[in-house]
Amino acid sequence: MKTIIDFSLKNRLLLVVLGVLVLAGGFYSYRQLPIDAFPDVSPALVQVFTVTEGLAPEEIEKYVTFPVEVAMNGLPNLDHIRSVSNFGLSVVNIYFEDETDIYFSRQLVNERLQEAREQIPEGFGDPQMGPISTGMGLILFYYLRDETGDYTLTELRTIQDWLIKYQLQTVPGVTEVLGIGGWEKQFQVIVNPDALLRYDVTLADLIEKIHANNLNVGAQFIEKNAEEFIVRSVGLAQSITDIENIVIKADDGTPIFLRQLASIEIGGAVRRGVQTMDGVKEVVSGQVVKLYGSNSSTVIGQVEQKLVEINKSLPPGIKLIPYYQQKSLVEAAVSTVTIALVQGIFLVMLILLVFMGSVRPSLVVALSIPFSILFAMIGMYYFGISVNLMSFGGLAIAIGMMVDGTIVMVENIDRLLRESNGDQPRIYAVARASKEVARPILFAISIIIVVFLPLFTLQGVEGKTFKPLAYTVSLAMLGSLVFALFLAPVFSQMIMRRPISAENSAENNENFLLRFLQKIYRPVVTFLVRKRILAVALALALFVIGALIYPRLGSEFTPTLQEGTIVMRLTLAPSISLNQSIKTTQIVERRIKKIQEVNTVVTRIGRGEVGAHTDPINSAEMYILLKDKSEWREAETQADLEDLIRDEAGNIPGVLANFTQPIQMTVDELLEGVRAELAIKLFGDDLETLKKTADEVARVIQGVPGAADVQPDQVSGTPQLLIKVDRQAIARYGINVQDVQQTVRASVGGETAGQLFEGVRRFDILVRFDENYRNTPEAISQILIEAPNGAKVPLSQLTRISEIVGPRQITRENSQRFITIQCNVTGRDIVSFVEEGQKAIDEKISLPAGYYVTWGGQFRLQQEANKRLAVVVPITLLIIFLLLYSSFNSMKNTFLILLNIPLALVGGVVGLWLTGQNLSVPSSIGFIALFGIALENGMVLVTYLNQLLRDGVDVDKASIKGALLRLRPVLMTAMTTALGLIPLLLAAGVGSEVQRPLATVVVGGLVTSTILTLLVIPAIYKWFAIDIKDEEM
Amino acid sequence: MKRTQANAIALFNIFLMALFFISCESKPAHEEGEKTEHEGERRSEIVQLSKQELDEFGIELANAGPGKLKIHVSLPGEIIIPPDNLAHIHPRFPGMVKKVFKHIGDFVKKGETLAIIEGNESLTEYKVNSLIDGIIVEKHLSLGEVVDNSEHGFVVADLSNVWAMLTLYQKDLPSVEIGQKVTISAGLELPKSEGIIAYISPIIDETTRTAEARIVLKNTLGHWKPGLFVTGEIITSDVEVALLVPKTALEIFENQNVVFVQSKEGFVPRAVQIGRRNEVSVEVIGGLNPGETYVSKGGFTLKAELQKSELGEGHGH
Repeated sequence: MKTIIDFSLKNRLLLVVLGVLVLAGGFYSYRQLPIDAFPDVSPALVQVFTVTEGLAPEEIEKYVTFPVEVAMNGLPNLDHIRSVSNFGLSVVNIYFEDETDIYFSRQLVNERLQEAREQIPEGFGDPQMGPISTGMGLILFYYLRDETGDYTLTELRTIQDWLIKYQLQTVPGVTEVLGIGGWEKQFQVIVNPDALLRYDVTLADLIEKIHANNLNVGAQFIEKNAEEFIVRSVGLAQSITDIENIVIKADDGTPIFLRQLASIEIGGAVRRGVQTMDGVKEVVSGQVVKLYGSNSSTVIGQVEQKLVEINKSLPPGIKLIPYYQQKSLVEAAVSTVTIALVQGIFLVMLILLVFMGSVRPSLVVALSIPFSILFAMIGMYYFGISVNLMSFGGLAIAIGMMVDGTIVMVENIDRLLRESNGDQPRIYAVARASKEVARPILFAISIIIVVFLPLFTLQGVEGKTFKPLAYTVSLAMLGSLVFALFLAPVFSQMIMRRPISAENSAENNENFLLRFLQKIYRPVVTFLVRKRILAVALALALFVIGALIYPRLGSEFTPTLQEGTIVMRLTLAPSISLNQSIKTTQIVERRIKKIQEVNTVVTRIGRGEVGAHTDPINSAEMYILLKDKSEWREAETQADLEDLIRDEAGNIPGVLANFTQPIQMTVDELLEGVRAELAIKLFGDDLETLKKTADEVARVIQGVPGAADVQPDQVSGTPQLLIKVDRQAIARYGINVQDVQQTVRASVGGETAGQLFEGVRRFDILVRFDENYRNTPEAISQILIEAPNGAKVPLSQLTRISEIVGPRQITRENSQRFITIQCNVTGRDIVSFVEEGQKAIDEKISLPAGYYVTWGGQFRLQQEANKRLAVVVPITLLIIFLLLYSSFNSMKNTFLILLNIPLALVGGVVGLWLTGQNLSVPSSIGFIALFGIALENGMVLVTYLNQLLRDGVDVDKASIKGALLRLRPVLMTAMTTALGLIPLLLAAGVGSEVQRPLATVVVGGLVTSTILTLLVIPAIYKWFAIDIKDEEM
Repeated sequence: MKRTQANAIALFNIFLMALFFISCESKPAHEEGEKTEHEGERRSEIVQLSKQELDEFGIELANAGPGKLKIHVSLPGEIIIPPDNLAHIHPRFPGMVKKVFKHIGDFVKKGETLAIIEGNESLTEYKVNSLIDGIIVEKHLSLGEVVDNSEHGFVVADLSNVWAMLTLYQKDLPSVEIGQKVTISAGLELPKSEGIIAYISPIIDETTRTAEARIVLKNTLGHWKPGLFVTGEIITSDVEVALLVPKTALEIFENQNVVFVQSKEGFVPRAVQIGRRNEVSVEVIGGLNPGETYVSKGGFTLKAELQKSELGEGHGH
């Protein structure tokens, strides 16, 4: 250590250059860092979507979901597979272990997808991977405003799908643009079944004929006069007329045209999602999805630029209006922490000036801030951490601590410079001073870094949220250590001057404030050193206060990050039709629109193009756009406004409304986490049995004392019209099952018969019965099926048609169906509840063979976290202990310093209590940071007391003198840390709700821990003092 | 002693830290409160709605009472010429056509001369006369043509009456009887006609496995052209029932057919037994009393409100 300091002092220029290099590198890294709002907590997940129009959940599961799942089994790094089979859509979520590279996992999934494709029957859809994005990928939503009023929804959607989408997708960093709303254009061949009967044509013939009369071919080339002519035969249908004139058959030379059997019109495809606005109309909208890992702010900027360009190229009267932008959020979040950071730096400098009393040493100390921050930037770049609320928040927290090491160093240099006589070169004084404190600084900062160790073991969402913070704090501290040890002496030597009036005693030179403080402090500390019991009593009193308040604190999970966008999620009855869904949603929209502060309400119902959302049509997300704050009348804050909205929309019949936020919503969906403490998963095969057993399990659990909110998942509730083929009946006519089903599919559901090209735009040609012939069970029962002998038989003759209630969705985990029963536990210990619950289920329910129950939920996560912490926390403490011990070589000293911890906790607890905040993950992190700072303060003092003792000063005198001399550094380090956090404490911007509890704990804790350090430690030092004689021996 | 004290402190620390993590990962208390509230609503199966809400959601009310229930079957069929109204007119002897008076589409009277033919053997001219009043629908002779007496020269059809032959599928046989009223239509463009089933074929066709029902239609306007495809709507039963509700009043709630009935407290789902039904109405044979006010349309909103507690959060997909 000493040689290093000597070396660095000798090679000052080299070190300055290295320092500048670090600064430059840090700045460069900063420019390269991606900027996000929050850390991305999305799991390592690849989604596989398969759209199969018209298929019920059971068939989707059987034909699509299962083959995909089976293919994915056994992938390396696979964590688990979960699937949802919905009406018309299969979603298989393949979760990989955290930290798995997204491209690697996608590649794996893609390889296996080939196998899956082979297993999925023809016509049952093609499985596709979701966009290369995460829960934070939805960066911008827009809708199309038609100022002319001349465009139909189908035309607008065509503009979205064929004009806007492809242009936006060219923006680097945009991976997908998903359209929703309006109608996808389709050429619909609306068949009149009576006409089929009249002309003796079957639907299959008709479809085949359309296919056969709509194609282009190439036929190589011919040679003509030494030239090659490419032969091309053109026969694509170009318009409705072309389709109408397709000849279906000819009777005695009389052609029967398609138009005689069907009317051909432009219509909208079947849709599972709609976008509505202000309760009066439907709109067409799009969602821009950002590529995984790309820089949000850059991409958003470029998308915005592109939007301006696109707006110019759109038909007159049509405009793209963004209604949700992550940009504002990113800007707000980054500005919250940046402002806190800048204010913190400013406050810290102020403290330095006040305490140091001169500019030069303050300058050296202040230099450590940019150095540490830019050092951390290099680390962030290296570890791939983006600039976001948490990582920058970590820097903001660390500001006060970054200077600590340098303060101690510079303070000591300053002191020795004052004491040294003018003959010696300054470098000797600097070297001596540096060597004196290098060791304690090294240990103190190491301890701060070590206390953050448990944070690195956090898993899941908390891990992803708080690890960036742990990284930046540790990195910045490491940077500050480097600065304090190597650069601070160098800069001190270069910048600091020996006080001009060297004769003056050190004390006289101290500034006024310090003298004033010392004046108060001296009698107090002298008194306490004499009456040690009182000091102990003071400590105990504080401790008792903390112990009394602690149980009063509420607890919560991580406080919710406010994204600043008000989104209301409506959940409607599971069996609702899209039209009713639109109607209900618009009623809610109209009610909300009535609120004076609301400018526009835009709602997405269900899902559009697959990729981002998989919601069914009974779920709607309402984006409530507000007027400028100056126009607000009734509400003053966003919270007021939310109350107003809740009043309007909170109690609408058949509508469950709750507030959510865009990113939170998407991430929750990806996590598919169970919110309740306990999730009892019942696995089994038969849906009916599963549901019955789940209800039974719920009943049994309800009976266990402490059970609350027991609720099995609602998996059924979708009405079905079940058409069951009567095998005997079809046998009589010699009809195949397939004949029946194909006719049902084509006539009721519609079947695509090729595409019609308009330039490069292509639109499906859909063949389907006229609505009147397929929209009621009665009409469907009269659909005729042709037997091989030409007889036409109505469907009701061949099948049994019944109305039943079927499953709404089928959820599977690791290839098995399951139902979750959620449950909370009140008033008792969750572990014993689980044991009792398990026993109750074993005793009261005889599960059918192959059925089993697993217990999970938050409780499982907690258990895992506790298990990890039970290992990590003692290890951390052990490391701290070892560090302290190796620093002091004294058990007693070590314990004395460790004594700081509980008293620091007291302040944190009181701080939370006074400000009405809860215990949460961020406040726990505050406590962790507090440990480090408290230990550091203790070390600074105890080191010096030991020093005095070794110099032969009497213990009592040493205690008082040491305390007085160390008043400045202790107060300075404590106050810089505290003041550095004040901006976070007072910030009200986006993301402040996460940082505030942390800041509160640290600031509160610093108060008590400083009191302890300054009053109690000197007092009781005698009991813990090192034994000089021992050392000498 | 000091050491034990310090150990105690260290232990306390572990304890406290662990405690923080346990407690902060537990569920927030207020959320639980909300859920219990929903739970409470679920127990009482009553929905209260204001007049304004009824209007907003388009919920309509009606009084339970009697009504006419017509049940009908729709059958495909075609118009044919009644065989008795058809006259095949043959030249009596082979010969050469000397004169033709009438052409396809011409209306002729019984006994009216259609053509004159000169017999091959007798070389005398004779008249070919119509056997019935009707329209000439076929004509197989031209001037100068030598015709044989085995081929008919004209077909005259009396189209004042036509037959609609409806295809009866097996499933329709029990409900379709002679004497039932039938409405025949041939699409929106043509006027409908009413008739009565006059005949049902006693045997089933071996290929198509269908029977035929015959309806005699007056064709004074002449729009029932033979060969036309038609649809026959047979009213198989036409009864007065004590309680008739529109189908829109029925909701399936907890696997039962229910009708929402207005009570003092609000709307209550009432399980009902269903009797006969047609496309628009159903007969209620139990569960609903005459005179009660029930929701005739828009009951879905009420059902949805009752299901609200089960909608749950988060598991919407």
